[in-house]
Amino acid sequence: METRILPQTWGMSRALPWRKLALGAAIAFGLVAAAPLRAQAAAPAACAALQDKYPDWKGKTLVNAINPHTPGYETIDPKDPSKYIGFDIDLGEAIGECLGFKLTYKAVTFAALLTTLAAGQADIVISDIYATKERAKAADFITYSKVFDGVLVAKGNPKGINGINMSMCGAAAAENTGYVEVPLIQALMPECKKAGKPEPTVQLYDNNANCIQAILAGRADTYVNDVNTVDSAVKAYPDKLEKATAVTIPYSVGIAVPKDKPKFRDAVMAALIEVQKAGTHMELLKKHGLDVGNFKEPDILTAD
Amino acid sequence: MSLFLHYLSMPYLLEGIELTLEVTALGLGGGLILGLILAGMQLSRFWGLAAVARAYTVIFRGTPLILQMVFAYDALPHIGIKLPAVLAAGLALACNEAPFIAEMLRAGVLGVDRGQVTAGQALGMTPRILMWRVIAPQAIRTMIPAFGNEAVSALKNSSLASVVAVQELTLRSTQLASSTFDFFSIFFASGLLYLVLTFAISIIQLFVEWLLDLDRTKGRQRKFADYLPWRRVDIDTKIEPASATVAEPAPAELPDTPPLALTREERTRRAVTIARNNIAVETKDLTKSYGPQKVLGGLDLTVRVGEVVALLGPSGSGKSTLLRCINHLESWDGGTVHVGGRRLGFDDNGKLLSPRAIANERATVGVGMVFQQFNLFAHLSAKENIAGPLRWVHGMTRIDADRRATELLGRVGLTHRADALPRHLSGGQQQRVAIARALAPNPSVLLLDEPTSALDPELVNEVLEVIRRLAIDDGLTMIISTHQIRFADEVADRVAFLSGGAIIEEGPAHEVLSNPRNPLTARFLSVMEADKTPEAVG
Repeated sequence: METRILPQTWGMSRALPWRKLALGAAIAFGLVAAAPLRAQAAAPAACAALQDKYPDWKGKTLVNAINPHTPGYETIDPKDPSKYIGFDIDLGEAIGECLGFKLTYKAVTFAALLTTLAAGQADIVISDIYATKERAKAADFITYSKVFDGVLVAKGNPKGINGINMSMCGAAAAENTGYVEVPLIQALMPECKKAGKPEPTVQLYDNNANCIQAILAGRADTYVNDVNTVDSAVKAYPDKLEKATAVTIPYSVGIAVPKDKPKFRDAVMAALIEVQKAGTHMELLKKHGLDVGNFKEPDILTAD
Repeated sequence: MSLFLHYLSMPYLLEGIELTLEVTALGLGGGLILGLILAGMQLSRFWGLAAVARAYTVIFRGTPLILQMVFAYDALPHIGIKLPAVLAAGLALACNEAPFIAEMLRAGVLGVDRGQVTAGQALGMTPRILMWRVIAPQAIRTMIPAFGNEAVSALKNSSLASVVAVQELTLRSTQLASSTFDFFSIFFASGLLYLVLTFAISIIQLFVEWLLDLDRTKGRQRKFADYLPWRRVDIDTKIEPASATVAEPAPAELPDTPPLALTREERTRRAVTIARNNIAVETKDLTKSYGPQKVLGGLDLTVRVGEVVALLGPSGSGKSTLLRCINHLESWDGGTVHVGGRRLGFDDNGKLLSPRAIANERATVGVGMVFQQFNLFAHLSAKENIAGPLRWVHGMTRIDADRRATELLGRVGLTHRADALPRHLSGGQQQRVAIARALAPNPSVLLLDEPTSALDPELVNEVLEVIRRLAIDDGLTMIISTHQIRFADEVADRVAFLSGGAIIEEGPAHEVLSNPRNPLTARFLSVMEADKTPEAVG
């Protein structure tokens, strides 16, 4: 399976003549602009050694499936919407630079991230996705960040919600389809019932913007997600939203790679270690205004 | 407001339109091709094809487009088909549109008057020519509004391509909203962009309707503006309020000759000549049933060249069925039909021919047919109704066909109405055109199925006059089913009285009509005599 290198097929399909018509797509997809203000490249010598050890991806262009609705991690650039910006984008490109590949982006819904990877429509997923055992059935993960969730509520926290706990009984929670918070909130249902309280309800949406709109429109009482996402929502609507509290979730954020490419997984992990050693990881956290406490040394999570 | 305008003019969103249009075009174009195939399968004679098409329709019409998109994008790669996102989305949309378009096509085809199809068959058109020249031109005209609908719906459905990472308008809008939090300005802007696109489709639809309007091409001026929704022009009727009833010298235009009733001596002489002629049409022991109901019960009929036979009898006695069997527009259960010595519709071994081969044989043998309901091709002018089949079936050049059509229109006194559409002609005029159309290829036999029964009483004579001339001046072999006793008496050499699918009495016209021997014949004739408006009898 190692010999079936996906980037080549992708490259071929991009060369089909009809594709030329798709100017807009080319602009969106074919964008590999070097991340501006890259703090500092990983140590050239170490990376050169890695490129010798893992030569299969050198000079290739890989597809990174992202759900670009998470400000700070991955969104389009409001100033130039043909580009994607964020911590994950920069980190992925730093890894790619170390291994000698470039990245193009494919924007999909959150729930479609891993299916897109499994279908071979993408080579890697770096999109603030939490690595869980459940998800590791669909892909291998290289974890790179700790998880802190924030609880987003309407200004004044009218329902008095203070975490994924009994305070959420009877509340309506907005979540993205496929988010790990969904089963956590669902687990509250029997507990609330046992305590004689109304069960919480979960509304499933497609992206962050819709979850935030659900609170603004009064349809949902809370939205639990990565604390940085919650913070940027509060920053955008300071009069209407607030962060009730931060909660710890027992997961790490991971880079997802296909299960049938252990060599690629190892190469990415090795490159990530080099990127961290060079201090790039930490600088990128600072650059995007994220908590440096998120930093985590990489581990591999697989289903078995 | 300024944010709204900012997003409205943002190149990023405008570029999304391009992908939206690309997916829509793939979906509609592919859907049309697939839909044509599906509709063809469903209308096919082979039940297996119809069943496959039906199953496809059930599946793809019955599952959500969003699932089909995800399937085309994420499942197909597992069997080795990895399409780029736009193609995958286009494929899913095409597969989804196809059954809807197929049903539209099928409705359009089935909506074309069956009588016109029968008339086309009688003229020797193969199924392909019929579809191309008669059915499609009319079906397409009726399908345009539905197509407009389908195009708008496909355009909006293309937004679902966002789930498979096609950077079309909707996906770009949601991404922009996520990164800027300007939720409403962005969605109003993209909503307006969609409106502009769907409005453009509406304009195209109106333009095509105008372009294909028969009244426009037939010299009646109608402006494109008449099609705009706020104009209340009655598209079907208003433009030609008077032409159908315009005082026209129709009967007078038929060349004036002395009354054409034959004297007794002439009749006798004619009978002697005919008796020596070859057999033109012969049916032997013809039987046919519709389910338990017997329509023809062992019918024998022989018609000689130059003979005019009138078929009389109450409705349901089998007159029409007999005529339709003679040129094999209908099949029968037992017995044989020979026209000009040939078994029309069977090969030398007596095996049934394909519809196409039967059509070709009808054209060669030359059996013309005139119908009660005229059955003119509604989208063609009077002249083209005659000239068209000559070109398509008999391979005449346009010049020759037009010359022949003009000549025949002259013979039925309608030269001045050559360019009129059937719907602008009176019933009598339509039937005269239909007769001219049937005569155009010089048939050896002309079958007339109650040619005046659908006409208002005052229009009957102009048609009978034309038929009378054919019989007496041209010596054309004709079989006429009719309720016009007096006309049968004057024109027919022989009458055959049908009841219950068999001939119960036949003989020289004057004899049978004045001296019926069978009590059923006598009763029928006396009823017809008593009825002052026999032509109104169906």
